[in-house]
Amino acid sequence: MTSYYRPGSASEAVAILAANPGAMVIAGGTDLVIDRRLGRADPRAPLVDVTGINELRGVRWDGDELHLGATATISAIESDPAVIVRTSALAEAARVLGSVQIRNMATLGGNLCTASPAAEMVPPLMVHDAVAAIRGPAGERRQAVADVVTGPRTTILASGEILTNVRLRAPALSGSCYLRQTVRWAMDLAGVGVAAWVLTDGTGREAAVQEARVALGAVAPTAVLVPGLESLLAGAPPTTERLGAVSAAASAACEPISDTRGTAEHRRHVAGVLAARALSIAHARAAGLWSGGLAPVNGRASAVTSSGERA
Amino acid sequence: MRISITVNGDPVAQPVDPSDTLLSVLRERLHLIGTKWGCLTGDCGACTVIVDDRSVVSCLQTVGQIDGADITTIEGIAGRGRMMNDLQEAFVTHGAAQCGFCTPGMVVAAEQLLRDGVEPNGAAIREGLAGNLCRCTGYSKIIDAVLSVALARME
Amino acid sequence: MRSDYAVVGKRIPKLDAPDKVTGRTVYADDLKLSGLLTAAIKRSPHPHARILSVDVSAAEALPGVYAVIHAGNVTQRPFGFGHDNTPLKDRVVRCVGDEVAAVAAVDAATAQRALDLISVDYELLPAVDDPFEALQPGAPRIHDELDIEGNVSMEWNFQTGDLAEAERRSAVIVSGSYSSPQAAPAPIETHVVIAGFDADGALEVISPVHMVFMYRKELADCLGLDWRRITVRQPPVGGSFGGKIDIDAHDFIAVMLARAARRPVKLAMSREEEFTGTRTRQPIHFQLRTGAAADGTLLFRHAEVVSDNGAYNAWGSHALLVAMNTVTSMYRVGTSRLNAKVVYTNKNYGGSVRGFGNPQATFAVEQQMEELADALGMDPMDLRLKNANRPGDVTPQGLEITSCGLSECLETVRRKSSWDQRRGRMRRQHRGLGAAAYVHVGGGARIYGSDGCGAMTKIDDSGRVALISGSSELGQGSETALAMIVAETLGVPLEAVSVSHDDTDVKPWDVGVHASRTTFVAGNAARMAAAKARDELLKGAAEVLDRPARSLTIRDGVISVPGEPTATLRYEKAVRRRLLREGSSIIMTSAFYDPPTQRQDENYVGNISASYGFGAHVVEVEVDPDTGMVRVLGLWAAHDVGRAINPMSCEGQIEGGAVMGVGLALSEELPVEDGRFPAPNLHDYGMPTAMDAPPIDVTLIETADELGPFGAKGIGEGGIILPPAAIANAVADAVGVRPRSYPIRPWKLRRWIETGERSHVDKRPQLVRDVNAR
Ligand SMILES: Cc1cc2nc3c(=O)[nH]c(=O)nc-3n(C[C@H](O)[C@H](O)[C@H](O)COP(=O)(O)OP(=O)(O)OC[C@H]3O[C@@H](n4cnc5c(N)ncnc54)[C@H](O)[C@@H]3O)c2cc1C
Ligand code: FES
Ligand code: FES
Repeated sequence: MTSYYRPGSASEAVAILAANPGAMVIAGGTDLVIDRRLGRADPRAPLVDVTGINELRGVRWDGDELHLGATATISAIESDPAVIVRTSALAEAARVLGSVQIRNMATLGGNLCTASPAAEMVPPLMVHDAVAAIRGPAGERRQAVADVVTGPRTTILASGEILTNVRLRAPALSGSCYLRQTVRWAMDLAGVGVAAWVLTDGTGREAAVQEARVALGAVAPTAVLVPGLESLLAGAPPTTERLGAVSAAASAACEPISDTRGTAEHRRHVAGVLAARALSIAHARAAGLWSGGLAPVNGRASAVTSSGERA
Repeated sequence: MRISITVNGDPVAQPVDPSDTLLSVLRERLHLIGTKWGCLTGDCGACTVIVDDRSVVSCLQTVGQIDGADITTIEGIAGRGRMMNDLQEAFVTHGAAQCGFCTPGMVVAAEQLLRDGVEPNGAAIREGLAGNLCRCTGYSKIIDAVLSVALARME
Repeated sequence: MRSDYAVVGKRIPKLDAPDKVTGRTVYADDLKLSGLLTAAIKRSPHPHARILSVDVSAAEALPGVYAVIHAGNVTQRPFGFGHDNTPLKDRVVRCVGDEVAAVAAVDAATAQRALDLISVDYELLPAVDDPFEALQPGAPRIHDELDIEGNVSMEWNFQTGDLAEAERRSAVIVSGSYSSPQAAPAPIETHVVIAGFDADGALEVISPVHMVFMYRKELADCLGLDWRRITVRQPPVGGSFGGKIDIDAHDFIAVMLARAARRPVKLAMSREEEFTGTRTRQPIHFQLRTGAAADGTLLFRHAEVVSDNGAYNAWGSHALLVAMNTVTSMYRVGTSRLNAKVVYTNKNYGGSVRGFGNPQATFAVEQQMEELADALGMDPMDLRLKNANRPGDVTPQGLEITSCGLSECLETVRRKSSWDQRRGRMRRQHRGLGAAAYVHVGGGARIYGSDGCGAMTKIDDSGRVALISGSSELGQGSETALAMIVAETLGVPLEAVSVSHDDTDVKPWDVGVHASRTTFVAGNAARMAAAKARDELLKGAAEVLDRPARSLTIRDGVISVPGEPTATLRYEKAVRRRLLREGSSIIMTSAFYDPPTQRQDENYVGNISASYGFGAHVVEVEVDPDTGMVRVLGLWAAHDVGRAINPMSCEGQIEGGAVMGVGLALSEELPVEDGRFPAPNLHDYGMPTAMDAPPIDVTLIETADELGPFGAKGIGEGGIILPPAAIANAVADAVGVRPRSYPIRPWKLRRWIETGERSHVDKRPQLVRDVNAR
């Protein structure tokens, strides 16, 4: 029988991990249970279930600061009304992750710590400049989410450390968007996932970009921030020409591989396409021009079905 | 470890390995074989059950996490003393089950979707059931069945 | 056409539906037997290797292990077409997943541990996973024990008419290559088989197989068993789509394990094993040319075909039989030629998956119809209608077209999709419409000595009518259709009819469920047996009512004399009157129906089916040309079903098939890397979800086939054949490029858009002008 612990506090969890070398944290289990069955993770390793810890739970707003507990489920993020409006990229990423059932189980912390190059929530957190709190035997440290994942399936968490929460700010006049390219329209990992975030100096079509960030998923060993956007965008609205430059910068920031979800060349191209689309939607949101709810998954105004399903 | 859960209204207390999946406990311990499996990777939805008002894939749900939970499987969807509920009847009359292997998971997922107040239109139902693969029906009749109940329950 | 039926033509819920929606149906993996062991198979991790040694001693020593088998400690004979396969491989493994050893143990964990303890030494051999490379001189020989050249396991060559002359007369010739991927039937239920011997040595196998009598024979032949002492029971099947049709290595292995362990064993495939270790849909590569006169009259079709068979010949090697029909017989194409090579490769091998070669062939043939129409400046629907098969046609391969609603199908989807108003006019929104049509066997397919099916009916003293049919229910609804046929024929209420068809000890012989044949062949057998039972019923009633039997009618269970309202008798009373007396007798009848068809001769000529099914689809897509993503917005389907015994089931078959076809067209694929499937799981495979499936508008066209039961024809495969071709055509309409292969995954489409993949058209202006001048 596997040793199984269900601590009631973060410090208890840390103590258990310290006392059981090789023990693994389990949250929603949607990655770990499969990995254990297929032998990609040691099926006999003791499990430390963090879903019983109150302080790790929940989606909470404190003014313009969003506090996401490590065990906040993807469905809780997806359905938070303020997340949908103020940090739309997070809601858009959450909405396309797996299925209803998977989203009910899967957690934000699990998505981050599983460190898949295609992990859906990471690019949105990066563009929102989110900061992760990590608890270990030596206490808590904070680390930009952009620095948490260090490679495919590796993070900066030392053994014995757990992720406790992620925090970010959603100031006024900011907006974000997450788009992706997949083969199927649901239940698929991203071939390319792109998050964009924009802070403007005002509202309306002419609102100038003050700050902008674009992060790319599934096109490099870890999600990457596209460098050098300020010089391309700051001080003006995102014109077609500027968006073209964003596309080029995004494509250049990719180090993709070819696999069953796309060729390297294609990924590089699509990263550019989606970066421009996501950025212009993020700008529209920041500038108060967006009224459409969540964007279509590939950012293209998609059609309604035509052979007559009863509405 | 011993867990105490309620399955379809019946209290169940069983010694279990907490890292066992809910699927294996339902099928192998409790002999509730109505819940099916098709992948064990969360992709097909055949193993869907309701845990405390949320649908989950029981193949990835460890039982250690759900001590005290209230679980509904296909065997309990209709409620006591009833063979079928309105949704199950709609599946029958609309021809929404062919081989039937996806059906228990589909019915359970759809029931929770309805309880959550899914918008009564094809697109919303399709999105809500995207985690339940059906290889036989092409989904049309499943969507029609769920839609008919969504509309009927609104009245 | 008659329409006053009491049962036939009604939307009847499937008889097994209530149990299915309540979770009561017991599938193979749900069965519990006392003493049941768990089996597991040790498979080759290499695409091609020599087996140097197999050491099972450690596995045998593990407590809880009851049997460990490998080629060295069992008796087995080769099986498969050409006997190129053995259940456990003894010298060479030829694909990843090849069965090398197997264990039976008390539980799954012990079985897995035992597998890990088996050590196999391999000497790696050069492998080839591309059929064109396998054809090259110097390619690795995959079956060096066979006397074949260039890894060609089989050839299919057909020629009719003067090709050179037809080419000379053609005003336009379109040519191109069209390829399909390795795909999988992927039912949601994986393969599960249970085998056990009783104390007296008789074997019982519980298996979802649906060519059950051949299965029994193959078990006996390969394992040296007495086939009179084999019973096969078929549990409810969680989908097959051809994947479970016939015998596979694991079936023999389960029986050998049961024999060695002297205990019943259950072998349940994991999803990963289902993809690597059970049969797939083989990739087929077409080089096709079609020529037409300037007025659109088709003049010839010429196909050079390579089928990527995989490591052994299972049914998949015969998919060319169907592909050939499409090349020679879809529309009237006088002259045609097909040369096909079936080539061994070091990969999982092909089985007979739904559609059986037809989606692949139609992808080529029907794209060329639209390419040809565009080159001729004709509407593709007009081109199709001009050349459509018609009742009375005999195609060059000898297919006798009797009932044929092809034109009506085409006109229906044309109208319903607003084709004339919309095709070619939505490119600015990157939307397009595409069409395709098919011909497929619809009245059985004589691929075996007999294409028959038996049926028995018995009516007991309660009035219960039992149909015992040779066929099998796979979820497709045949059980309900057969019950409806019996109820209609007998004139009794549907509730009175039960169907059993799951036990070889009880049921009469049948070839099996394949080739869309069940409603037609098993339906006719059921109708014949029921008609005999009706005669018996009326004979008995005649005595009671004192009227001649032929003056009696029966409807809704009431036997009556027309015009005499008081002279009535309930049918169950007639049964009891016969039974409860001296000199009593029961009502029990049987029939065997073998359609009036021919096996194809050595030139591939022969009318293999008693009728042919036709259908047409129009699909609407929206393309995102910058990401290559394609969304199917709608699908209009019209199918000539002869007669819809149960319209709801017909629609279900068509809708389900169509969505499988959408999966083929856009997403489903088992990509191979170095002979391996890197991702044998449902996440990567790409089966359509409810969000990928379009809303589907189905029209059933009824042509009342002369030979079909109540006019019905087969419909089980029609739906899947068309979407790859229709979607490719719709993509071409939306963005102006020609998909050369499916699935049309985003990066492929974007590459075609970038390279401007176009039709290859050879126009002869001289001939075009000649015709226009006339
Ligand atoms: C069918 C299916 C579809 C999916 N689709 C998508 C998709 O579209 N996009 C996507 O990004 N992902 C997808 N996933 C992957 C998965 O659901 C997500 O990565 C999910 O967010 C993981 O969360 P979890 O809570 O289930 O993680 P677990 O499985 O519980 O844990 C994952 C890893 O993170 C570690 N971990 C978890 N929590 C903590 C913590 N607080 N501190 C330290 N370490 C921790 C665990 O030790 C483990 O190594 C899919 C999975 C399935 C089964
Ligand atoms: S078995 Fe659980 S999702 Fe497939
Ligand atoms: S009915 Fe067969 S898988 Fe859905």
